[in-house]
Amino acid sequence: MPPKGKKHGCQTAPLDILCSFPENVIDGILMRLPLREAVRTSILSQKWRYKWCRLPELTLDLKNLISTKDSVPPTFKFTNIIYHLLTHHTGPITKFALSFNSDLMPCPTIDNLIYFLSRNGIQHLDLKLSGRGDLYKLPSSFFTCFQLRYLTLQNCLMLPPPACKGFELLISLELRSVTISPKFLERLISCSQLLERLVLDIVGLSGIIEINAPMLRSFNFTGEISSISLKYTPLLTQLSLADTEDYEGLRECDIAKFFESLSALEHLQLNQDSLRFLAAGAGELPKRLPFNLNCVKRLRLANIYLGGSDVVSCALCLIRSFPYLQYLEIEVGDEDAGIPALEYLEVEAFSDMTFNHLREVKLIYTIGSEPEMQLIKLLLAKSPILVKMLIEPCLEVNDDAYKTVSISRKLNSFRRASPEVEIDYNCYYD
Amino acid sequence: MAEAASSTIEKNNLTLKSSYGDEFVLEESIAIQSVTIKNMVEDGCSSSVIPLSKVDTGTLIKVIEYMKMHSSTSSNEEEIQNFDKEFVRISIKTILNILEAANFLDIRSLLDLCAEAVANRIKNKTPEVVRKIFNITSDFTPEEEAEIRNETPWAFEGDLDHSLD
Repeated sequence: MPPKGKKHGCQTAPLDILCSFPENVIDGILMRLPLREAVRTSILSQKWRYKWCRLPELTLDLKNLISTKDSVPPTFKFTNIIYHLLTHHTGPITKFALSFNSDLMPCPTIDNLIYFLSRNGIQHLDLKLSGRGDLYKLPSSFFTCFQLRYLTLQNCLMLPPPACKGFELLISLELRSVTISPKFLERLISCSQLLERLVLDIVGLSGIIEINAPMLRSFNFTGEISSISLKYTPLLTQLSLADTEDYEGLRECDIAKFFESLSALEHLQLNQDSLRFLAAGAGELPKRLPFNLNCVKRLRLANIYLGGSDVVSCALCLIRSFPYLQYLEIEVGDEDAGIPALEYLEVEAFSDMTFNHLREVKLIYTIGSEPEMQLIKLLLAKSPILVKMLIEPCLEVNDDAYKTVSISRKLNSFRRASPEVEIDYNCYYD
Repeated sequence: MAEAASSTIEKNNLTLKSSYGDEFVLEESIAIQSVTIKNMVEDGCSSSVIPLSKVDTGTLIKVIEYMKMHSSTSSNEEEIQNFDKEFVRISIKTILNILEAANFLDIRSLLDLCAEAVANRIKNKTPEVVRKIFNITSDFTPEEEAEIRNETPWAFEGDLDHSLD
């Protein structure tokens, strides 16, 4: 028979069992806690007092530092925290993640922190600043962190010393709202021969960056597409482009040249302005690219205005060049119900092809315009193995019962090449 | 014919023995998720029973359950995620036992899962509650405690959770 009181005993462990575990096990637990929580274990007992000090991975989230009730100024608090860390920590720090509100901007303190990290073998650095403050200028010690493998920077200013070549071991590079010269960015990318993941959210790059990255697999770009050139990216499988440029008809793009080096591409995501940029070539857009991209499985088009003939014909040119496409998602943007039907969306215009591998289609924020209906009709008529078509109406249509019924009726009248297809017109009623 | 088949199956089976002396027969391909067992097999020490003197029967049953699920080819990623979530819905004492066994047996993913689970149990808790969970007796004087709180006030401010679960 179990002794009495055992039920309560289950809640707690035998006497400080955890402390008898090997150091790596305790570190494994503490590293999964934010630094604030790990530091709090110093009060548990004498044995626990300095356990957090040897952790090689630290996560410090100080975004909410400002909002506490006491009267200590946040900048002062921030400085205290960093100095406590610098004076108490021992051993290597391979990973450090810091997020804080840049309105505080106690620059010398962060400079000291980065100097400290540069001397302690940092491999993974996330520096995410938020707020309306100025950009944080990275100190020269940052450019000596040669062990870096993962780097994320937000709201920073990069002014490297002239001799700085970059970080040879980088696998992942993410720069958001970072001010950097195009020349140095280009060098940073081409010097990192191991780079697999690149995220750039940089508006206002003044120049063209040639991307040479033999191992690059994933690239997400937000900014002016005219400022990047994918020169050599033979392994790129996932590409997302969100153009932010005010299009004035000044740019020129050779769409065939743009996709030439992307033979490994599997997932592609484009927004309205990216398509407009790709369509901005000399003369008329080709019906399809001079070559097929046989690996492309998923295409997502975001915020698309189906009334724009350049955008629609550019999208169709791409779809025609992706013969193995399996998944197509189109998110309709700023649509008006009055746009007329488009000639090149007619089923007859596609006598030359069928979507032989298309399995799933998703249309989001639809309004029931003529081109939308044409597109749905086309995809249903030309996709013999389509399994699912999901159509989500935008709010105004959803609230209009008459309209939803008439759209449903239309959908049911379209010819379906695939006997298996399930059409999900996903409107909801309150 | 039947004999030949059964002997090949036997060849690929290992017997694990818990600290209580209970024996469990497990396919080798499942058991070698444990690097410790894998090394034993490679060194040829696995012909007889593998004694796991540091792992009690209840813990060994849980570890085997975990290894079976994670080597199953029929379950998808989502099923495994759900299994993991349910797997750590147990008392902290049991989690710590499994954590210790996972460290001894060197099963990386199980070690990570348990470390995460322990971290989640103490997240946002007051030091008093964490002491209760780990059964720690404080050996600080009130003065020392005040000093530590004073050194890092930012680690102690905010609304901390007083509940045990």
